[in-house]
Amino acid sequence: MLAVSETTGDEPTGGARSADGTRIDEWSECLRLIAENQDRAAFTRLFRHFAPLMKAFALSGSTLSANHADELVQEVMLKVWQKAGAFNPKKAAASTWIYTIARNCRTDLYRRLQKFDTPLAAEDVTGDLESEEAFMALHQRRSGERIRQLMGELPNDQAQILAKVYMEGKSHSEVAGELDIPLGTVKSRVRLALQKLQIQIDR
Amino acid sequence: MSKFHPDLDLLTEYSAGTLPLAQAACVSIHVNQCDHCRRVLGQLNELGASLMESLQPEPVGDEQLNAVLARLDEETPLQYERRAQDGDNTPAILQRLMRGDFSDLSWKNIGAALRISYLKTGDPQHEFALYHIRAGGRIPEHTHRGGEMTLILQGGFSDSQGSYHAGDFIYRRPGDVHAPTALQSEDCICLAVLDAPLKFTDWRFRWMNPFLRLRAG
Repeated sequence: MLAVSETTGDEPTGGARSADGTRIDEWSECLRLIAENQDRAAFTRLFRHFAPLMKAFALSGSTLSANHADELVQEVMLKVWQKAGAFNPKKAAASTWIYTIARNCRTDLYRRLQKFDTPLAAEDVTGDLESEEAFMALHQRRSGERIRQLMGELPNDQAQILAKVYMEGKSHSEVAGELDIPLGTVKSRVRLALQKLQIQIDR
Repeated sequence: MSKFHPDLDLLTEYSAGTLPLAQAACVSIHVNQCDHCRRVLGQLNELGASLMESLQPEPVGDEQLNAVLARLDEETPLQYERRAQDGDNTPAILQRLMRGDFSDLSWKNIGAALRISYLKTGDPQHEFALYHIRAGGRIPEHTHRGGEMTLILQGGFSDSQGSYHAGDFIYRRPGDVHAPTALQSEDCICLAVLDAPLKFTDWRFRWMNPFLRLRAG
């Protein structure tokens, strides 16, 4: 259920840059205000923008009830408040940072609902991308912008599969089962999409 | 610097959060040591975020906002370190799962060259274990009934397909037969994540097959 790319006036995509290239969009600024001043007004602005996206994310997997989706929204937004100090605008867009929190909270909620008995939280097995070198960070931000631009050019069948994997949280083999296509087709569509977005392993 | 990495399929599932817990734990240890994979992962996360931004927003009422505002003064939960502490090469997540030192682990001997220690991740489908192979020791030839992820933590080993060193990540698909031999110079310690038990093809060890069960959990 991807929306046709709608750009409202308050979309901070692109955003202005300070002299050192730091992204100074509205959402990064909100996170800074929260971290430094525990600014509730900034949090409220952030909430009004992101909570509806979090709820859409929670519901796209379609296995969560409305109550659990609300619980997830609250949990993600509370984490955003608590962890705002760890956000570094030089490394990633605010929305990317919030996405990884949402993804981890959803995984933990799924595991709780399945009565998974584990000492590990999803965050514990998330790669630590925060201690990145400066040149890597710049590279990262540029590729983030490129990916957002190229997303709109993906053919439907590829965009659909990426949405199933990322937004609905389905494994490649679950997607294959649901769409009734071979696993190899799912993998090759994902690979083609990543190629178009210029995400590749260069080593 | 490692030479063998998770492929793009695995990294995509990892970044989408759909890898099973034990596999995600293994990939995370490699990623934390590997600049290349961290760079790709950063881009895959940007992809996830860009998909999230283009979702059709679902209305969230003020009562939800107020409920969160009322909770902002709660204590922040304690956080575990994701990187190893200074002066210790053991990945942070293994330190937690081992609950102590390497020397405190309990081991099961399989032949003269190999011993295995099973760690508990809580993943009901996957075994998560440390393999300790004596320098120059050979693991009897075996095949995989399922997939096997291996991450080399110390030392290295070679098999008919190549030679692997600390930091290397190898994913064997069902049916791959191999007989890894540890390097002569030092003991090899690796982490292995399995979704089905090994099956020895070496006739001297085949009698063990019925006793090899998956120790998931």
